[in-house]
Formats: sequence, C-alpha cells, structure tokens
Amino acid sequence: MKNRFMAVLLGAAVLLVLTRPIFAHHGRSNYDMTGTVTVKGIVTEFQWVNPHALILVDITGEDGKVEKWVGETNSPNTLSRQGWSRNTVKVGDQVTLVGRRVKGGGYYINFSKIVFADGKELNPAVQN
Amino acid sequence: MRNRWMASMFAMLAGLAFSSMALAQTAGSSGAKSAKAASRAPDLTGVWANITESSATFNPKEDPSFQSWAEAKWMANKNTDPGQPSITNGRVDLDPTVASCFPTGMPRLMTEVFPFEILQVRDRVLILFEKDYAVSHIWTDGRKLPEDPDPSYMGYSVGKWDGDTLVVDTVGLKDITWMDRRGHPHSDALHVVGRFRRINHDRLQIDWTFDDPKAFTKPWSGQTIYRYHPDWTLEEFISCEDRLLHGGESLEQKAVKGHGQ
Repeated sequence: MKNRFMAVLLGAAVLLVLTRPIFAHHGRSNYDMTGTVTVKGIVTEFQWVNPHALILVDITGEDGKVEKWVGETNSPNTLSRQGWSRNTVKVGDQVTLVGRRVKGGGYYINFSKIVFADGKELNPAVQN
Repeated sequence: MRNRWMASMFAMLAGLAFSSMALAQTAGSSGAKSAKAASRAPDLTGVWANITESSATFNPKEDPSFQSWAEAKWMANKNTDPGQPSITNGRVDLDPTVASCFPTGMPRLMTEVFPFEILQVRDRVLILFEKDYAVSHIWTDGRKLPEDPDPSYMGYSVGKWDGDTLVVDTVGLKDITWMDRRGHPHSDALHVVGRFRRINHDRLQIDWTFDDPKAFTKPWSGQTIYRYHPDWTLEEFISCEDRLLHGGESLEQKAVKGHGQ
C-alpha cells in the first residue's frame, strides 16, 4: 500500500517536472526584467507572423490622446500547438496584456498573459 | 535417442544458416544491403521537441575551452544583463539569426525550442526542422566524410548504426553561425559527433562531442533530450517575416530605437 502511494507521488512529481513550460526562448537583453507592466486597450490589429505574433493595441487616455502599443508573444507555431489561431484575437477586442516592457521607453511589451473582456485568460509559453 | 535428436537439431540449424547465407548472397548490390540495414535499424522516426533542462546550450556546466580569439567573441556574445536567468540566449543584437536573419544552421538547430522530425529512408536519415524549414541529410550509405568540403550552414553529415545508436559525424560548417542559442562561437574546422539513441519510446537522447582545432583547446561535450510528439506536425516558420513586412526592421527593433512612439 505504502509502495503504491510512493509510486503515485513519484509519478506526479515526474509529470510536474516534465510538463513545465520552457522559458528563456526569447533573448531578453532588450527588456526591463525588473518588473512587469500591464497594458489595457483595444486591438487594432493581430499579426499572425513569425518569429512573434503581434497584437497592436490602442490605449486612449482621458485627454483623448492615443498611445499605440505593440504586444509580442510566441511564434504562431508555438501558439497553434496551444490552440491559438489567427482568429484568437480580433480587431476591436478589449484586452489586457501583462509582460516585460522594452528598454528605453518604447510602447512595446513581450507579454506572457492576455486577459479578454469576458475574463478568459491565456498564458502563451513554449510547452515541449 | 539423444544422438538422433541432436543430429536433427544440428541439421535444422545448419539448414537455417545456409538458407540465410543464400538469401544474403542474392541481395547483391550495396543499395539492397543498405535497404536491409535501414529496415533493421532502430526507429528514431517522429516529431521530437527539446526538453533539455537548459536547452539554450549543449552543456550548462561548462563552456568550451576556447582559444583566445574565440574566448573574446564568447565574452561579447554572452548575455550578462543583471537580473537575467543564468542560462539564456546570447545578446540579440549580436545573434546572427535575430540581428541579420541568417539561417540558424547546425549544430544550433538542435538547441532550438521548435520541434524537428526524423525520417529514415534507404540511404539517409533526414531531420526536418520547423525552424528555417531546414533539412539535415545524414548519409547512411557507408560513404566517408569529405576531405575538404565547401562550408555550408547545415554541414555535411554521415551516419553509422552502432547497435541501437546512430552515430552522426558532421563537418564543413560555416563559421558565421553560433554553435548554440547561448552564443558560443566556432570555426569552419568544427567536427560534431552526435550519438542519437531512443532511450525509450518517448525520449531521444543525443550525446555530443565537439572538436574544433581552430577555436577550442580541447574537445567539448554535452547532452540534449527530446520528447516524442505523435500528434504534432511541423508548421512553417519564416524567421524574419515580421521584418520583411515592416520595411526591414521588426517592430521590436523600432521600439528599442524609439521609433515606435
């Protein structure tokens, strides 16, 4: 009985190790790794391109000024293996992107989490 | 009684031995021989994805022992940003595949996160890579490595079966590529030996030895592991597509330079 329990525990531990997502696919020297930023706005374009799929997002401030942001994520190859397609993000969608901002103040982030208006959350990562 | 049994056993075994020899003789040409070898070879076919612990390099515990010119290049390529994970990609502004859209080449393709597919045919083992649409031809027809090959991104590879292991030798690699994602440099004298073994149905293990008399002071070794994905097919990957669409500069490059605002 104890042996079987230990075997199940070991099996679960092995599964946890093996299914962890792989980080560090993307070179990070262009990004501020000290913290994350959150970008919430309206999608103007979703580019299903390599090496990074790109979501173009407009944030309109209270003064009416528009900030034009770009959020990049993994390649379409990686995303499609997680069930994404070129239709996963649509023009007009309100999205929240969470990720690392490019150094130097540009309106560009590499996001690891996207939240849609209905609360649906996706966390793109390489899952080999 | 026992002698008669022994005699008939002997006759049966002799008959089997002679008949298999006869079959071998009718095989004839080297093409048929390698076809038989291919059909008897272990099965490495399928789509494989990198699950090595620190997949950006072949050996996270030690760097190659570089000659001084190569050591200088390595120091430049290495990512030393504070706050970075200790094992990561090299500097993107120096990475030939990112900064200049050069092909990834071998052996670096074996350290990429994108899957590859192994096919075994009569005279070759083929590795189709999702990244760059690259193909490695590993000749298993018994030919020797060329003496002085013209360098290429994929190099020239020959393979030989050693029991359950495919031993692959590669030479003739262009020196413009990084050896791995971390940014280790190499010369065109690099000789790569990879020992491919399917350690169980879902795992491919490759033990590597790298010998570069122009860049290293001694050989370097490493190991990579891949998981089998029976339900994956390779996608297309044109690595600088975003740059081609945005006037020669990716949106990330524009943002870094302050053009994105």
